[in-house]
Amino acid sequence: MARVNNWQLGREMSYWYPESRPQKQFAAVFDTNKCIACQTCTLACKTTWTSGKGQEYMLWNNVESKPYGSYPLAWDLNLLSLLDGQNWGEENGQPVYKGSTIFESAPAGERVLGWRPESEDYAYPNVGEDDCAGGIEHGASIDIPHQMAWFYYLARICNHCTYPGCLASCPRGSIYKRPEDGIVLVDQNRCRGYQECVRGCPYKKVFFNPMTSTSEKCIACYPKIEQGLSPQCFANCIGKIRVAGFINTPDKAEADNPIDYLVHIKKVALPLFPQFGLEPNVYYIPPIHVPTAFTKQMFGPGVDKAVEVYRNAPNDRDLTSLLGLFGSTEAIMRKWKLVGDKAIGMDENGKELVNVPFKEPVHIRPAYDKLYQITRTNCP
Amino acid sequence: MRSITSLILVVLLFTAACKKAQVPTAEVNVAQVKEITLDPNSPVWDAVSLHVSKMILQDLVEPRLMEASTSETQVKAITNGTEIAFRLEWLDDSQSDLPGPKHFIDGCAVQLPAKVDPNVPAPQMGEVGKTVEISFWRADWQAIVEGRADNINAIYPNASIDHYPEDAKSLENNPQARAETAARYAPARALGNRRAGPRDQPVEDLIADGPSTLSPAPNAISKGKGVRTKNGWAVVITRPIPAGFTVSTPSQVAFAIWEGSHVEVGARKMRTGWVPLILK
Repeated sequence: MARVNNWQLGREMSYWYPESRPQKQFAAVFDTNKCIACQTCTLACKTTWTSGKGQEYMLWNNVESKPYGSYPLAWDLNLLSLLDGQNWGEENGQPVYKGSTIFESAPAGERVLGWRPESEDYAYPNVGEDDCAGGIEHGASIDIPHQMAWFYYLARICNHCTYPGCLASCPRGSIYKRPEDGIVLVDQNRCRGYQECVRGCPYKKVFFNPMTSTSEKCIACYPKIEQGLSPQCFANCIGKIRVAGFINTPDKAEADNPIDYLVHIKKVALPLFPQFGLEPNVYYIPPIHVPTAFTKQMFGPGVDKAVEVYRNAPNDRDLTSLLGLFGSTEAIMRKWKLVGDKAIGMDENGKELVNVPFKEPVHIRPAYDKLYQITRTNCP
Repeated sequence: MRSITSLILVVLLFTAACKKAQVPTAEVNVAQVKEITLDPNSPVWDAVSLHVSKMILQDLVEPRLMEASTSETQVKAITNGTEIAFRLEWLDDSQSDLPGPKHFIDGCAVQLPAKVDPNVPAPQMGEVGKTVEISFWRADWQAIVEGRADNINAIYPNASIDHYPEDAKSLENNPQARAETAARYAPARALGNRRAGPRDQPVEDLIADGPSTLSPAPNAISKGKGVRTKNGWAVVITRPIPAGFTVSTPSQVAFAIWEGSHVEVGARKMRTGWVPLILK
């Protein structure tokens, strides 16, 4: 194995191949606080890519309720129970992962630490939906912010990892990471369906197609990315929880890059299970109402700071304006800026793609419309 | 009554003596026959000498097989001068021929050096500059060739399907458009991945220059047929006789077995080293 730098761990780690970062790395930020689990993203992906024979059970994008939801069943718990000692330490004021990654924990004879879901594990995509952690006392009411029962929605796609577990697992080299944008793909001409990638991806975002006996996965809608457009699950997101872009390493962070700003500058968006060691490139703004013992295991040691920053957003015009740009255009915003009361999203040349008022204007519509002499109601 | 019983016993003992078990040979002796057969149950095989290949774990490259399964394979071989046929028989109590997540397929493979040469390639799938040719039989392909439907209900009988894009009403009178639409959702088939498509042979031809280099052979030259025995598989694989393989110029052959229920797939397999292949 080679030694590579994983900045999310704050240290070097072992990986099957030497470090080779792409020219650009596709990345995304999902705001879990805005997701309503409408599954429009799931359907947008499903109808676009996985409506064929053998793809029936595949959800390249899914949304699960945490803590009890998971697709495939217990994808996270199974690996967490296999991976020993996921403790974080601190060096020079920065968090450093002291445990082992899936590559460093690979058993004898294996390329990575992993497990294989059974067919039945894919049979319950809505398990745990809207189930709260903890009970609700009879007569209880919710205070905001509340400290009672909680759940939240976790939308998931392939993380297009810097150090993909699927890529490391494939003995045939059938999986590759595109140098131009870091998107991870299964070569459908070379794959022979060994399912080593299904075993090796800790996020279980590679799926075996029993009709073609090959494995398939989220392609980040690369035909759209190549045209400067966001993937289908982003463009169709009702809650506007997502923003797509490209991320730099922390030492090259650019404040006018939306992803860099959220991940590196404000540190409000965090990777999913960074301790697995894949340097995943989908980042989550953690839910602010969830006990941090849970979210720290899921998003790493940066949760407290991320929650603090997010809660302070009303006092942070830059952050608020960027959050307002989420879902405002199908085009990928490579840059952004706040000008006066408008947040402006731009392409890589600085050309404006969209502008969003810092504060939406309020229109008060009287109940009685004098022009049409009609009383309006609030019926949908 | 006692005398009848004794008579039956004597007849049974005589029959058993006549069907004396074959003494296995250390090499695979290829018997010359008039006609080649694809049938593992053909009587042609009765008179052919038996080689019993001891199987070893593939434990050299990751992912490795860490726990042994199939211990041996019974091998026989015949040729009609233009084609060579190998009959492999091994024990495997569970029939695994349905693909799916964590469902793996029973299979076997015959490996030959691409060139008949005393300087053979590495037995572990050849090496750079020393190609091996592989004929690979799989139980799911056998089931498909024998008529198992090319749809999800053949694998999951209770699956309920709402709709496939190619079933759109607007396409019902346009077979070409239907096929093109279906291909859009089956990229491996659209790209011509031989692994992925409907099959007319249960055997695939491959070449390799070492581990991780397995690739489709330029031409499909092998045929095969596998049948379930009482507690395993018997498979016949035929292919053109290697060029230069004569009575005075022996070659080598190697075998591999995959037991699907033992999560054996790809590199996770039981294999042999090179075994001398001799034309009798």
